Amino acid sequence: MAYPYLDKDFDKSEHSGWVTVPNRLWNNQKARGLYQEYIDQLAYADELGFDGMVLNEHHQNIYGLMPSPNLIAAALTQCTSRGKIVILGNLLPLHLNPMRVAEEYAMLDQMSNGRLVAGFAPGGGPETFNYDVPSANTREKFWEAADLIVRSWTEDGPFAHEGRYFPLRYVNLWPKPLQKPFPPVWIPGSRSPSTMTEVAKRGYCYFLSSRSHGGETHRAQQEFARVLEQHGDKYHPFRFGILMSTYVAETDRQAREECEEGVWYFLKNCLKGHLRREGRQLTYGPGVPYIPAPAWREYMKNYTPGRKLLGDVENWDELEASQSIIVGSPETVTRRIAALIEKAKVGNLLIQFQLGNMPDLLARKSMKLFAEKVAPQLRHDSLIQFTREYPVLNVEPSAAAVQR
Amino acid sequence: MSGQAVEIIGRRVWLLESGSGIPLLYLHGFADIHSVKPSWLPFHKCLAQRSRVIAPAHPGCAQSDENDDIDTIDDVVFHYLELLDTLKLDKFDLVGHCVGGWIAAELAVRHPERIRKLVLIGASGLFVKGALIGDIFMNAQPEFGFSYASLREMLFASADQAEALDMFPDGKGELEDEVRRYQMLRLSSRIGFRPPYFYNRALRNRLHRITSPALVIWGEKDNFVPRSHGETYAKLIPHSAELKIIQGAGHSAPVERPLETAQLLTEFLAN
Repeated sequence: MAYPYLDKDFDKSEHSGWVTVPNRLWNNQKARGLYQEYIDQLAYADELGFDGMVLNEHHQNIYGLMPSPNLIAAALTQCTSRGKIVILGNLLPLHLNPMRVAEEYAMLDQMSNGRLVAGFAPGGGPETFNYDVPSANTREKFWEAADLIVRSWTEDGPFAHEGRYFPLRYVNLWPKPLQKPFPPVWIPGSRSPSTMTEVAKRGYCYFLSSRSHGGETHRAQQEFARVLEQHGDKYHPFRFGILMSTYVAETDRQAREECEEGVWYFLKNCLKGHLRREGRQLTYGPGVPYIPAPAWREYMKNYTPGRKLLGDVENWDELEASQSIIVGSPETVTRRIAALIEKAKVGNLLIQFQLGNMPDLLARKSMKLFAEKVAPQLRHDSLIQFTREYPVLNVEPSAAAVQR
Repeated sequence: MSGQAVEIIGRRVWLLESGSGIPLLYLHGFADIHSVKPSWLPFHKCLAQRSRVIAPAHPGCAQSDENDDIDTIDDVVFHYLELLDTLKLDKFDLVGHCVGGWIAAELAVRHPERIRKLVLIGASGLFVKGALIGDIFMNAQPEFGFSYASLREMLFASADQAEALDMFPDGKGELEDEVRRYQMLRLSSRIGFRPPYFYNRALRNRLHRITSPALVIWGEKDNFVPRSHGETYAKLIPHSAELKIIQGAGHSAPVERPLETAQLLTEFLAN
């Protein structure tokens, strides 16, 4: 849900698209109706038969205009009826009291007739700066909040929570969520073993938030599978999801032509300050020191200063190689995503269709082609693969959701 | 000169000690021993010619154990009270630089009787309206994936001077220096990231409790803790001399002008 009305010289004139990006760039004349357009696009995904609609929380940036994904989710409960409403996720350390999230998620689950997928995220570097969240104990704080929320959904109240960060005398949730025992919980991560371990302990789903899908996705899947085994659990494809972007058009050439402006807008503007070395990247580093020092030492051993991040790709070939944005005809996109699924054994694809300043019409056309000419084949093939590879598990139908 | 680990309530504190004479507790800042370098800098060596200099690493810095229970400056102060008792430091000179200066001031208002003389160098800790302490965290994120120029600019008079480039080089420095820098930022994020940003609003009205003579030193071009903070300290500490400015230095006077800064200290401590 990008801000799509930046001038062409944004990258030249502005240091960042995050945290300090000057809000004088917001233009009310142009932006009138933008939220409606985005909501309608998500509702269209529901019409097309996608399994869900994915929302996420970001603050003070041009990448995602959803400081409160729960507001958009509330709108979707009223204009969709079938797909899951996946919020990935509310940023728990930003809340003074996590019960607010427990309450709003419970409301959304009731309002959507049990369609909520409840994501919890700790927030990245930019949010740290937006909300003054000290980094050193973010992870601890995050898990205390997540556990309190789930406890409030499952245990009868009132009870007292004697926590380190969120002590509460009267936890007594009204309303309760509709889904039993509680809505599915998804947690994003970027391959940190500690996050995978905490997810495995609690039986939640893990979602890889990195946008590049070379060998990394496969490695993440293997690591997560290993961690699950260590916790007496077994991997199956619907415990794992990835974030990706795609654009589908009638031919490869047309696809590239139609999406290229939006793609570069997304890479150069929206990722500036987040996944670009240009300007100042705020997502990860010594200024947001949330990992313990020994883990930082390990990270630094392999760290190459000035290395390229996703938004630093210089040409189309480099972008293709990153496998972050898969562009082409239905055949090409099917083939490439099928290869990804086959190798990474991933059951949940969270797909961003609208990129940067891509016009609504093109995004919708791409979504429709995907739903009609790509998804059926992927569902069919992956179901066969997963049934073969995970025969003891009761495999659910493949899920593909639209990511905003 | 030797490093040693001292145990206080089950946690290890790493400290260096050198010299003899009146004990001098040195609390480090960002561009300093323990937060970048493993051992004494020229500034400390000068001090150790006349004093018994004891320099502990803050919790979580260098080889000191991290303490997850630290939420506020108060927790750091109580950590140091434990250390003072363990080291049996009943009366000593107290010198603090930057965040170390803040901790020193907080100790001094609580236990003025234990302090013989107090020196604050570029100390954070005060709230001065209209003169915010700089955001070291954002500046610790490299620009263009490798440049720490803005961090050096904040901590030194100039981003290009040799001491700055030595302690905060572009790209990747010595691995253990990198780890120490990270540890210092991690501790700082506990006490200085969320409001209050490296200050304690209550400190100002407690400064009158300090009974020892005090010396406040500031670099001429401090881009991290504005000079008005030094002026406020000098004005509100009852027995403080006038604010001393080190010409040509930025926030890290002990590193940028070690001999001159040490000279000011030794004169003050000797009198």
